[in-house]
Amino acid sequence: MYQALLTNRYLTSRVIPLLAVAAVALCVALVIVVVSVMTGFLDMVRDSGRKLMGDVVISHPIYGIPHYEALLEELTKTSGVAAATPVIDSWGLLKMPYPQGDSKTTRTVQIWGVEPETFEQVTDFSTSIVWRQVEAYSPAWQYLLEDLFTQQSTAIIEALDLDQRIALLCVIKEDPELRDATPEDRLAIANQLSLESWQAILRTAARVPTLTEECLGTETWQSILARDPRLITPDAILEDGVTISRDNGTIPGIVMGLHVSELNVRSSDRTTVPHNNWYWWMPRFDVTLTTMPIDQKGGIVTEPSSRILPVANEFQSGVYLIDETRVLVPLDVAQDLMNLDEATIVDEFDPDIELGVDPARTTMVLVRAEQGLTPEELQVKVREAYTKFYEGLIKEQDLLVWPPSPNSLTLNIMTWEEQQAGFIGPVENERRLIQTLFSIVYVVCAALVLAIFWAIVYEKTRDIGILRSVGASRTGIVWIFLRYGLVVGSVGAVVGLGLGWLVVTNINGIHSALEEPPLILSWIFFVLAAISLILTVVLSWRGSLLPLVLGLMITVLLTILAIGILLLDGMGGVAIWDPSIYYFTDIPSSLDWWSAFGTMVGAVVFSLVGAIIPAAKAADTDPVKALRYE
Amino acid sequence: MSKLIQAHNLHKTYQLGRVEVPVLRGVSLDVEAAEWVAILGASGSGKSTLLHLLGALDHPDSNESSISYEGSLLSSMRPGALNNYRNKSVGFVFQFYHLLPELTVLENTILPGLVGLNRLQYLRRIGELRDRGAELLDAFGLSHRLSHRPRELSGGERQRVAIARALINKAPLLLADEPTGNLDRQTGEEILELLKAQHRAGLTIVMVTHDLTIAEQADRIVRLEDGVIEPAKESHNISR
Ligand SMILES: Nc1ncnc2c1ncn2[C@@H]1O[C@H](COP(=O)(O)OP(=O)(O)O)[C@@H](O)[C@H]1O
Ligand SMILES: [Mg+2]
Repeated sequence: MYQALLTNRYLTSRVIPLLAVAAVALCVALVIVVVSVMTGFLDMVRDSGRKLMGDVVISHPIYGIPHYEALLEELTKTSGVAAATPVIDSWGLLKMPYPQGDSKTTRTVQIWGVEPETFEQVTDFSTSIVWRQVEAYSPAWQYLLEDLFTQQSTAIIEALDLDQRIALLCVIKEDPELRDATPEDRLAIANQLSLESWQAILRTAARVPTLTEECLGTETWQSILARDPRLITPDAILEDGVTISRDNGTIPGIVMGLHVSELNVRSSDRTTVPHNNWYWWMPRFDVTLTTMPIDQKGGIVTEPSSRILPVANEFQSGVYLIDETRVLVPLDVAQDLMNLDEATIVDEFDPDIELGVDPARTTMVLVRAEQGLTPEELQVKVREAYTKFYEGLIKEQDLLVWPPSPNSLTLNIMTWEEQQAGFIGPVENERRLIQTLFSIVYVVCAALVLAIFWAIVYEKTRDIGILRSVGASRTGIVWIFLRYGLVVGSVGAVVGLGLGWLVVTNINGIHSALEEPPLILSWIFFVLAAISLILTVVLSWRGSLLPLVLGLMITVLLTILAIGILLLDGMGGVAIWDPSIYYFTDIPSSLDWWSAFGTMVGAVVFSLVGAIIPAAKAADTDPVKALRYE
Repeated sequence: MSKLIQAHNLHKTYQLGRVEVPVLRGVSLDVEAAEWVAILGASGSGKSTLLHLLGALDHPDSNESSISYEGSLLSSMRPGALNNYRNKSVGFVFQFYHLLPELTVLENTILPGLVGLNRLQYLRRIGELRDRGAELLDAFGLSHRLSHRPRELSGGERQRVAIARALINKAPLLLADEPTGNLDRQTGEEILELLKAQHRAGLTIVMVTHDLTIAEQADRIVRLEDGVIEPAKESHNISR
């Protein structure tokens, strides 16, 4: 029973156990943070690859797969296939709406022509749509309104009858002529105004939407706003994104990766705000997409073809590489741009003789597996389905254009991992490096915990000698330190878990604080440094040295921190996690509970081992030898 | 009178690097029950070593060496029995007190009592044990110090705590290694008076000292020189 007493006293009467708990906690937290971020990173790589591609990809670049509709039908019939979608993958140039003026920026982009409905089924891409709502009177809404009132001014005015126009005049009340005007006067003024004047009035009205609504009455106001559905239905913007179109699906649009536009600026709270206070919000604008279509016969580049497309929305996959380069357009638009649409085949020598139809094509088909089926299993099934599709087609004698044979070298049926090998390969290599780093961190932490306990028990060797000399047994003594290690290890592990959890879940916030260190922090540190300097002077006035040394150290440390933050700020912060290097916009921030649990168990075990070995060693020596450790 | 402890032909050699330092070279000593023996010798003559062997805090070198307590050989005791011997049969008082710094005076005193208890006994006997500890400390003039830490005590007070600790289990044999060696004359005398009182109550004491005036107060003086007991100089104190 003396063991409980001693353990309690050892734990409560000194600073050392606190230091030991702190050390164990820091080690546990360190390992948890490192492991969580790294495994989170690897998981994100796998997840994102799959999310962006589905599980299996059939691809036949450039020439494409004709009669793909039959292939899709065959695939949907195949068991294990949850969904399949055609995608045209190509490259092109995108003329951006910025900067102001005539010479606009051009970006090289990867074009994906997709069929929104089935593409959604395979990739869940609607979850990555960035702009999900336009709230009335928000900056985006205001800009949309101004755009509408400038671009469609003529139409809007022509749709207003004389009474409505007179009502509209009240938005320029400050005009002295209007202020005191009688209804008759207003009629006279309204009759005199030219179209240009009305347009100017409309531009004014756009800047004061609440007043205009009041003047015109809600009904008229709403009927004008209805010209842009996004102004009256907050969700319309999301619908635009999902359907890759504008105006209730009537105009084909484009959905760009969030970082295709360089004017989407990541703010410190990690949301994206378009540059110049939403002025450069892309869904306001049109972009021009230009491609080099390929001649069906020889792959020779023909005339470039261009198309102006309104920006329907933007998407963020989280994979920086993709968010920076990919744009989505409707499949038929891509087919048209790439000359992969349906065409008539004519006789080489006499263009008037029609030989038949050249069917529309797609360059890829993405397939999603049903729950529980691995990509590799699905790959086998897809291959079988393709062969079936091919054999079904070649039986038809009058076919002019054949799909590539299943054995063709240019046809690839790959799992998403194989398809993304270029992207995953380097990451897999990094994984090995990371694993090595893991083990080093682990070993260092284990050694540290061992060393701490070794030192603690070693310091208690004389106590062990005393206990042995009054008859305590060896096992009794080991038991004291077993309890000690257990308590310190468990408390340390739990505190470490809490600490690790705090860091991991706030890692993006911490990172942005590093990127843009808050200056206030620097001033707080300066003030603290001043306080500690004053305290130091006061406390060491009587000539004691320790307060002087400690106080000066703390003062210097605080000052260094304060200056460090200032410097950091001066350099514009440090971006440790550069999205263009680590592929992802955000640092993984979820705790890996299994490894956290393992780490905690490890911490307790190493605490126990670290305590028991020296305790057993001390208990085994003759009491006198232990007593001689002075 | 019956022999309480008998040591025969004790050898002990320390290894200092490659050099062997023989400290005890065949020491024999018999102590009778209720006797007070003083072991006198120069510093470094091996007095502490001898006492440690008697208290089973260390073991002699050769097989010819033997120590028996009430007729049973220490060398043939199992570890449990040896722990029991240290706990119940001997009380040890060190020159440097050797108190546990984290425990209070009272807790230090009753430590050997605590060591001997299992959980059930602890619940039943802790009160009794504390009472006895407090009583002892009271008798040693330390009643106001029960919950102090050893570092708050003077050397004399610490040594009194150490003696109380040695007495807590009512062990028949007290081994004291220069108990006054670190104390001034006055305090040393007080400690000796304490021991004398215990001796009068029937306690067997083996005390080590290099101070003749202290040794002379014992029943018998044994001189240790060059690792052996000097037979010629073994003498009975006649002053008592
Ligand atoms: N653990 C040890 N290792 C080496 N030499 C020791 C050890 N313990 C004691 N000695 C040596 O043995 C001799 C006797 O020591 P000790 O019994 O403490 O003498 P005393 O108590 O008579 O002063 C001394 O020379 C001492 O240095
Ligand atoms: Mg000595």
